[in-house]
Amino acid sequence: MKLEGYQNMEAEVVEAEMVLPQRLSFKRVQMSEKYPKGQARARWKLLKQIIQAENYQNYPPNEPNYVNIESPPSMYPSKKFCDITGFEAPYVDPKTKIRYANADVFKRVRALPNDYVQRYLALRNAAIVLK
Amino acid sequence: MAFISGSRGPDRQSDYKFIPRSCPIVIDNGASTFRIGWAGESEPRITFRNVVLRPRHKITGETVTIVGDHDPALLKYFDCTRSSHRSAFDSNVVYQFEIMEYILDYGFERMGVEGSRVDHPVLITECACNPIQSRSKMAELLFENYGVPSVAFGVDAAFSYKYNQRLGICDRDGLAICSGFTTSHAIPFVGGEPVLEACCRTNIGGYHVTDYLKQLLSLKYSNHMSNLSWEKVEGLKMEHGYVAQDYASEVQLFQTGTKAAEEKTRCWQLPWTPPPTEVPISEEEIARKAAIKEKQGQRLREMAAAKKSSRISDMENELHGLEFLLNELKTVKENDIQSFLSQTGYVSKQEIESAVVRVTQSLRRAKGEPVEVEDKAEASAAEKYSLINIPDNMLSPDQQKEKKRQLLIKTTTEGRQRAKQKRFEEELERERKNQEDEEKRLENPELYLEELRTKHRELSEKVEQRKRLKTNGPRTNGNQNLSSSVGRGERLNAAQKERMRLLTTAAYDRGKGEDTFGIKEEDWQLYKLMSKDNDDDDEGPDDDEAELVRITSRLQDIDPAFIPKVESSSYQTVTHIRPLTKEDFQITIGVERFRCPEILFQPNMVGIDQAGLDEMAGISIQRLPLKGDGVEDRITHSILLTGGSCIFPGISERLEAGIRKMRPFESPIRVVRASDPVLDAWRGAAAYAASDQFLLQTFSRQDYYEKGEEWLRRYRLRYTI
Repeated sequence: MKLEGYQNMEAEVVEAEMVLPQRLSFKRVQMSEKYPKGQARARWKLLKQIIQAENYQNYPPNEPNYVNIESPPSMYPSKKFCDITGFEAPYVDPKTKIRYANADVFKRVRALPNDYVQRYLALRNAAIVLK
Repeated sequence: MAFISGSRGPDRQSDYKFIPRSCPIVIDNGASTFRIGWAGESEPRITFRNVVLRPRHKITGETVTIVGDHDPALLKYFDCTRSSHRSAFDSNVVYQFEIMEYILDYGFERMGVEGSRVDHPVLITECACNPIQSRSKMAELLFENYGVPSVAFGVDAAFSYKYNQRLGICDRDGLAICSGFTTSHAIPFVGGEPVLEACCRTNIGGYHVTDYLKQLLSLKYSNHMSNLSWEKVEGLKMEHGYVAQDYASEVQLFQTGTKAAEEKTRCWQLPWTPPPTEVPISEEEIARKAAIKEKQGQRLREMAAAKKSSRISDMENELHGLEFLLNELKTVKENDIQSFLSQTGYVSKQEIESAVVRVTQSLRRAKGEPVEVEDKAEASAAEKYSLINIPDNMLSPDQQKEKKRQLLIKTTTEGRQRAKQKRFEEELERERKNQEDEEKRLENPELYLEELRTKHRELSEKVEQRKRLKTNGPRTNGNQNLSSSVGRGERLNAAQKERMRLLTTAAYDRGKGEDTFGIKEEDWQLYKLMSKDNDDDDEGPDDDEAELVRITSRLQDIDPAFIPKVESSSYQTVTHIRPLTKEDFQITIGVERFRCPEILFQPNMVGIDQAGLDEMAGISIQRLPLKGDGVEDRITHSILLTGGSCIFPGISERLEAGIRKMRPFESPIRVVRASDPVLDAWRGAAAYAASDQFLLQTFSRQDYYEKGEEWLRRYRLRYTI
């Protein structure tokens, strides 16, 4: 199969066969026909929307589906770890809400710029999200 | 195997035409890696990362499709600014079928498919309980676009379990714990079949581990962000990550800084070249450089002198010429003056005279002699400003213009003189003050010095205070100061802040009760305080500062013990910059080695409120619809760990300990790792598809359209055939 329409490319690129050919004999509809250039594409439904469209509530609850096989929250009490070092964290900084392990870390917390604080909090999904 | 990792993508297979039509194509469509090969073979033919890049080719301007990973060096021919690697997956479900189609295109193309369709049955993996929409879109794509005769869907973890069962690693009853790229599953098996009713899924996987490590490292080493690419961090995770037996005690080792912790810390040296060390310059070198500098200076001076002398001689020549002209003019008759002058370019005798004066002056200036132009100007003031005292109506328009000019000149010269006078007086005043000071000092040197010192201290404190107020604001009205020293508050100085406060209170306080604003006279003062130009009426500090400078210089003169205070804060930061060393280019990972994989057991650490791997096993056993008859014990006796995230060292021991905590005392618990956690799913699927009974598990295009969606929803493969 020769690479049609790619004659003007560098020898290295052609040799590496890194570019997908535009026409493939085994396809009934080629990509360029299915998704014509310059035409607005239909947006694909995201997983959230797919799940909503599945209407799982209409089926018996003992039948497994994508939603009801999800694990429940943990039974163990969640432990608190220092956001910066990963040590066990007995303290929370009331100002930044960052969990910290000891006085040394606290100094570092207070020296952190605000965006870093938010990034640390975002790691455990606790950052303030403005909508 | 034809697959060469690294520089080159997989090679196109050449043996397609020798494979019988009935031989199924087996695809393990994982969220991170796509594997495709022939049923009955032990290795997939083609493996690539399940991503698509659609950059623009720089020369042709064509948008091209690049599937999987390729030599990064070749990407220089493409403009990747508007595209990045895209995946067809959202979590572990395929949703973007345009990308999926590119991936399948590439997979079949590399398999060497020829002819007008892909004339082989296809077995493709999907996630457990794949939403029907995703499943039907995939079936449609395979039937409609590639003309596949029949399709079967299976779960990767189940294939891996069956494969290991065949190898004798696990039993008919058991539990597969599969930790993949974006999700982890626990699927129990009873009688050799997966019990999907009892399976459970936590949305955490290798992707989260790598992402967590990447975020932590880039927060810790923000200056080396460019070195922390996804691929590099993934490599670090694979090489150094491990699962701690007990997170709390492991982290304790690091917190107390023991030797064991030190040994566990890994260090990654980034490329770094030491800066060239400066060789001390020798005496001769310095002398040589000085000589060169001296020589150059000499040359410049000579040039300047030559230029000056030539200018002087030029001007002397001009002067001689003009004097000669004046002498000539004396001999010429009154009537002929006009015609004589017309040859020289001058209009009148006065003009020549003024030119003589001008040239003489500049000559003197050039020779460095004092110029006495001002006296002359003084003398001729009366005639210079001849027109000023004549009323306008007596003058012609030209004269009026001239009058205006004269007025302007007069006022500016007078102004200049006044300023000069003032300077002179100030000088006198200072002299007088110094004189007084001196007298005082001579009277009682000790007392004087003491007074001067206290005055200096007071003044410098005052000035300091003012500066602080200006930048930080007073502590008294600082409730906004205390609460938010980060963010907006910090940017305003005290005066601006006070203004903002007034504005906001003005907007709100008036709402209460009756509006009495303006009854009292002071109310209107508010506007004065609010106005913008209010805060720059600071003449006071200027005086203070000037006085401070005077006293400081005086102290420096007479007090040997006096050390002027250098501006402290700004200086210190500058002096502390040190040259970068090898250590600044090292990335150490200690706690991170096990902190990141720990999220598989405690998803809470990254804000995912779901059970971890060990608890999942318990939940899964609990969910079993048919219990009793020792099935739970048989299951816990055959727990198989599979999936890419199960490679971490220590994970089986940790899992065993975790499950033991949940099970009754002395339950039999055995955790084993799959023979190859990454490839076993494909191998199991390939072995499955090679069986004679496989075709009974597939469905055709006709089935798909006749049986309808409800049937496809219920479609479930039998894994034991």
